[in-house]
Amino acid sequence: MNYLMNKLITFAAGFLLLSLALAWWLDARQPLAVEMIPSLSGQPEYCLTCHADLSEISSSHPVEVFGCVSCHGGERLALDADLAHSTMRGGANPSDLSVVESSCGGSNCHSGSEAEGRDHIQRVMTSIQSTYAGAIASIRYTFGAQLDLNPIFGIKPIIDAQTRTGITALGAFDPASESHPSIQQFGENCLTCHLNADPLEGSAYARQTGCAACHSTAGHTFTTAIPYTQCNTCHNRGNYDLRTMNFVERGDQPVKRIDDYYQPIAQFTQCEYTLDCVDCHTRKEAMGDGDIHANQKDIEYVQCKTCHGTPTEAPLTKTLTDPDELAFRLALLNPVVDLQIGDTILISEQGEPFWNVRHLPDGSFEMVGKVTRQYFTFRPVMESGCTQSGEDQSSAYCHGCHAVE
Amino acid sequence: MYGGRFARSLVSDFSAMLPTKNKKQMRPSFFHHLHPPTTPAAQARWRYTLGAGGTAFFLMLIIGVTGILEMFYYIPNSQEAALSVQMITYHVPFGGLIRNLHYWAAQLLLIVTAVHLVRVVFTAAYSRLRRFNYLLGLALFILIILLDFTGYILRWDEGVCWPLITGTNLLKTIPLMGNYLYSIAVGGGEACSSALIRFYTWHIFGLVLPVVVLSIWHAFRVRRDGGIAVPPPDLRTDHSRISRDELVRREVLAILMIGILLILLASFIPAPIAPAMMGKPGLRVEARAPWFFLWVQQMLKWGDPFIFGVAIPLGLFAVLAFIPYIFPQPAESDIGRWLPASNRPAQIVVSVLALIILALTGLSLLPA
Repeated sequence: MNYLMNKLITFAAGFLLLSLALAWWLDARQPLAVEMIPSLSGQPEYCLTCHADLSEISSSHPVEVFGCVSCHGGERLALDADLAHSTMRGGANPSDLSVVESSCGGSNCHSGSEAEGRDHIQRVMTSIQSTYAGAIASIRYTFGAQLDLNPIFGIKPIIDAQTRTGITALGAFDPASESHPSIQQFGENCLTCHLNADPLEGSAYARQTGCAACHSTAGHTFTTAIPYTQCNTCHNRGNYDLRTMNFVERGDQPVKRIDDYYQPIAQFTQCEYTLDCVDCHTRKEAMGDGDIHANQKDIEYVQCKTCHGTPTEAPLTKTLTDPDELAFRLALLNPVVDLQIGDTILISEQGEPFWNVRHLPDGSFEMVGKVTRQYFTFRPVMESGCTQSGEDQSSAYCHGCHAVE
Repeated sequence: MYGGRFARSLVSDFSAMLPTKNKKQMRPSFFHHLHPPTTPAAQARWRYTLGAGGTAFFLMLIIGVTGILEMFYYIPNSQEAALSVQMITYHVPFGGLIRNLHYWAAQLLLIVTAVHLVRVVFTAAYSRLRRFNYLLGLALFILIILLDFTGYILRWDEGVCWPLITGTNLLKTIPLMGNYLYSIAVGGGEACSSALIRFYTWHIFGLVLPVVVLSIWHAFRVRRDGGIAVPPPDLRTDHSRISRDELVRREVLAILMIGILLILLASFIPAPIAPAMMGKPGLRVEARAPWFFLWVQQMLKWGDPFIFGVAIPLGLFAVLAFIPYIFPQPAESDIGRWLPASNRPAQIVVSVLALIILALTGLSLLPA
């Protein structure tokens, strides 16, 4: 009996040692934790244990300063994927507009003062790209749900206490409470373009939501050098069928810009299909100016004359004298131009700097493509052979002579 | 010369602590001395005791050691508690294993003490002079439940907030003294914001100290009451006894097997963990009580929180406490035998209570 018991004890002791060895082996199999203490938070985080292969998001968000958690959230100490990711903001996209204030906000970041040009979140939230107010008002007006084109609803409710447009607030558009079937259809099928929404399932023109919809062109990157293909993910991915109130996605990928635009009647000058959209269209046009607008046309103001002037007026320029000028900050984010104090750059009617367009001593202008880094030179219209009246200078008139087809 | 004598003395002193078969050394080692010289063979069998009492002591030892190790890293303030748990789990060398051992030993302890209680009732081992020790054991059982609950709360992550609020608010429902009890348990302020240091103190001192004292008292009373429950000598059919050496061997084997089970559980099934609590979490976080209180949570769905959350559970323990006093004493010949006829009513009451608790727990796990 004792003999059997001693055998059992020996066997169990051996098994206990084996299970201890197993526990040690399982522990040793865990990946070596990679610690990072970003200077902004001063708190250790271990995301790089698994994500060391991710590229730095952008040169303005260096990982040794920002780390991962200050933008993404998450459990910074956890080495279990489920727990570590459980409290991430916006899933993999912290710039989603539902969480953007916590992820990207802060007075020193992207919800600072308008004077310092750090009010990006306020601008985007109120922008037409986010509210979709113009399209909603237009459809509701068309089908008799409202008496005029003044916007009442946006995708999400928004308030603008310091409005300069007179529109102080938008309520939330609720297709279910609309009585006209076409408006309901519109609500169901056509709300996938604004920055709050994911694109349609299976879309070939995949994009993200929030800031990343424009600024993240591929993988874990953020850039201000936004190629036209990124704009195309919304602006050239199909069209509405107003009869059935459906969005009809195009099935092909545009290859040749001049031919592959979805509006067959559109006309383009050379710069419109050679340059990238961001070379001409400004941050206020794209991201809003902090006010709620009724329609896209109310915020879009750059035209041919902004760069080229008219037969009677030269384009507006500004000589840079202050190193704190916004133009320098923008040029730093996307260093395609070595901008210097004393350089004269083009500015818009609203004073927005075209920091990539410099006035040369010979009177011509030199533009550097923000994405392509190509150099283009052009002369102002004034003193050219252009006979167009100074009063009629919208783009449509320029297209009359200068459209390629 | 001196060194050799010192070494021999050291070896001799240490070897005296260890189990030995040396017949010349008549005086038992420390560990052997903790056991009676002989034990009735019939009642020393595992199929009689289920090894539950001894296993409970061993688990308490494991919980104590692993708990002390965790205290080196655990930070009992509401800002850092959950993060320190994550630090222990993921970054302290073998911290995850230690935490998992602590967790699993605590869960097993609850099960083992419940089994011990059932065994004592089903073998009529609570009768006569042992009924005071039965009450000590019941008090230990309640303290262990509270230790499990406070330990669960010390995670201080999103998973524990709502059970904490529910559990502590139940105290408030007690007529007359509810608010005082709440203040004693939680202190001022909301449970999820200010109570951590209280629960920490309850867990580490307020409950552990009574458990240590009562456990020693309980074990002492087992010896003082004549060792393991057994019929009087003239009523026994089997008079054989086993030596303390044999008893220790059986205990060693049990300890090894439980050790293996614990290590395997701790290696493959991690203790629950959730994101750090940042203020009171929204109700989207599943508000589920720890498994040993699921039966109470299920009853709380039925109505008055005092009746279903306090009165009935306390009443249940009161019924258990009164078993040795209200039911007829078991026949002396039945003491120390499984399922004797003479204490059938007590067996039926405990079986019904156990089945109700299991059924309520099962019900609470069904999808809503």
